[in-house]
Amino acid sequence: MLKEITQTEYETLDITAPTLVEFYSKTCGPCKMLGFVLKEIEKSLPDFPMYQIDFDANAELKERLGVKGFPTILLYKGGAEVERLEGLKQKPVVQKAIESLF
Amino acid sequence: MGIELKKIAHVIDEQYAAETAMLREIKAGSYTLDAPYVKLNPYLIAPLTALVCFTTPEETEAKVVVKGKEAEGDIGFSFPRAKEHLLPIYGLYAETDNTVEITLGTGAVKTLSIRTEKAPDSVHLPTGVKCVPGYLGGKVVFLSPTSPASTAAYDYRGDVRWYGTLNFAFDLKRVKNGRLLIGTNRLLLPPYNVTGLFEMGMIGKIYKEFRLFGGYHHDQFEMEDGNLLILTQDPSQGTVEDMCVLVDRGTGQILKSWDYKKVLPQYPTGGSGSQDAHDWFHNNAVWYDKKTHSLTFSGRHQDIIINIGYDDHELKWIIGDPDNWPQEMVDKYFFKPVGDLSRFDWQYEQHACLVLPDGDVMCFDNGHWRAKRKENYVKARDNFSRGVRYRIDTEKMEIEQIWQYGKERGAEFFSSYICNVEYYGEGHYLVHSGGIGYMNGEACELPPVAYQDEGVRFNSITVEVKDDQVMYELEIPANYYRAEKLDLYCPEDALTFGKGELLGSLGVTEEFTTVPDLPAGGAVPEKYALKMAQESDRLVIKALFEKGQMVMLLLEGKTTHAYFVPTTKRPYLAMCVGTFLENDERAVELPISFENISGDYKISLIIDEYKYDTGVEISI
Repeated sequence: MLKEITQTEYETLDITAPTLVEFYSKTCGPCKMLGFVLKEIEKSLPDFPMYQIDFDANAELKERLGVKGFPTILLYKGGAEVERLEGLKQKPVVQKAIESLF
Repeated sequence: MGIELKKIAHVIDEQYAAETAMLREIKAGSYTLDAPYVKLNPYLIAPLTALVCFTTPEETEAKVVVKGKEAEGDIGFSFPRAKEHLLPIYGLYAETDNTVEITLGTGAVKTLSIRTEKAPDSVHLPTGVKCVPGYLGGKVVFLSPTSPASTAAYDYRGDVRWYGTLNFAFDLKRVKNGRLLIGTNRLLLPPYNVTGLFEMGMIGKIYKEFRLFGGYHHDQFEMEDGNLLILTQDPSQGTVEDMCVLVDRGTGQILKSWDYKKVLPQYPTGGSGSQDAHDWFHNNAVWYDKKTHSLTFSGRHQDIIINIGYDDHELKWIIGDPDNWPQEMVDKYFFKPVGDLSRFDWQYEQHACLVLPDGDVMCFDNGHWRAKRKENYVKARDNFSRGVRYRIDTEKMEIEQIWQYGKERGAEFFSSYICNVEYYGEGHYLVHSGGIGYMNGEACELPPVAYQDEGVRFNSITVEVKDDQVMYELEIPANYYRAEKLDLYCPEDALTFGKGELLGSLGVTEEFTTVPDLPAGGAVPEKYALKMAQESDRLVIKALFEKGQMVMLLLEGKTTHAYFVPTTKRPYLAMCVGTFLENDERAVELPISFENISGDYKISLIIDEYKYDTGVEISI
């Protein structure tokens, strides 16, 4: 499941379960490409929760989470961030990071 | 209008064709001292060189003298006994009927007149030269550019006696076989990493190109066995300018590597005013010291010179201001200043470290920012750059500044980037401040080439100091990476015929495994100004894309190869060589190595929501 959310929706996420959150920008080529990577992953993992957050429109949240640039992927498990991927990553790298959550 | 795939021959192939034609002409003729064969610029890239050929009935020596504008400007060389004489001519003046005198061992003399063309405007002329006539002997000072200019060599009068027409990059050094090593003109990773190194004779013949997967930047060093230490990086690691490799001189293969990430903390630890996470160390010099069997590297973006064991790869010491470094590192690796502390200064964002025979360490202290904390940064107008020599005691971990030149000249000698020092003997040094720049009359805070502004005024001052007296000073209105004083003629640099070699490898360009399935958009819109060039070992695409566009290049044949094209540029905080920069900030360049690719392919481009057909097919 791949869905765009805002800060308000982020606050309600259940991050005790394995979850992926991606910060992206509309003005970023690598972010657009990473979007296609996540869509590809969604095909094989339709139930895995993946959320996209607009870096520019959610300034307070990205500051709080220490997200310095885009694209940035945060991976959560057990209520805490367990891994962070910065920059454009290939599908196998993202898949491996997701698998490590289980 | 259709898009064309331009085929670009490698300079080695072009030179081989020219050489083959030249040798055919020589063989077909019957050339004597009185009527010799003369070929100006025989290898196409060094217009102030020539080759003179003739035969003599008996073996005899031959002496060549290129007559100077005055006697001190004569440049000559004696060639060994031969019947077939192949005499390289170096040191001609541009746009001149040069007088070249050839004297045989028999006493026979021939005076030739060799006409040269006007040098291009990129061969800048000095605005100031101070030198005792004849002080340099037959030597000249080579300067390799970082602002728009040509690599050129200047004599004691400031007259140009050699220049190259290729966009060579970084330092030019002479190696034991008499040839020159310099960065190639082929851009690999923007803004200035090139494919590797050329090994070139003074006549301009390229004997070898050493190619590297991570490209080449800044500096190289020839080991005693001829193998080469070359500064590079591993593009897959996401950082740059933090790796050195040892390259086999015969094959171009990488034999050994040193990764500084294994011995140093990275961003933001110890960061200079120019550091970022991507270019956290910015290695700009390498030196091997046989006595200690160790390597010394300069890291501009941590304001440090480090020493690493050649075999054990362990960090031995660090020269630099210890402020803002972790205390456990300060205690273990940093030196404590001793001696006259009123004269002592640390170096900041330095370049060109070298270890002297007695173990002293020299460098060019750019002094950029001149502090470890932002609140203490020094403005360029109040700053200075200098050559400095430190004496270090690695037992007591003490450091003493024993010489410097440049602080007294203040901001007029300030270079925020590049530059070098050379050691010629005790008390005898070269200090090259090649990165001076002014905007609106004030010294530039950043490297002048980074401004890309017509209002920037470039300058370069090269000084040779002997016993604290300035013996030579050359001022040129451009920026030059380093200065090297060399003889044009060198007995070991004998011209040999045959095709040059492409060694090493550009590696496999990383492919992107996800290819979006997008609707066809027809032909590539002209606004992207797409250009493609096929070289012998790679495809290079150039285009104009807005920041943030999603672009992918597809080679579609029996298999498909897909490459992500970055359109978002990083801010370059260290524009060490600006000669590859395009004027348009939308300019994007991507080389794709042919390693592991062969066959016929159709070239397509994905740009945002559509897949475009370039109409170009390529055979690899």
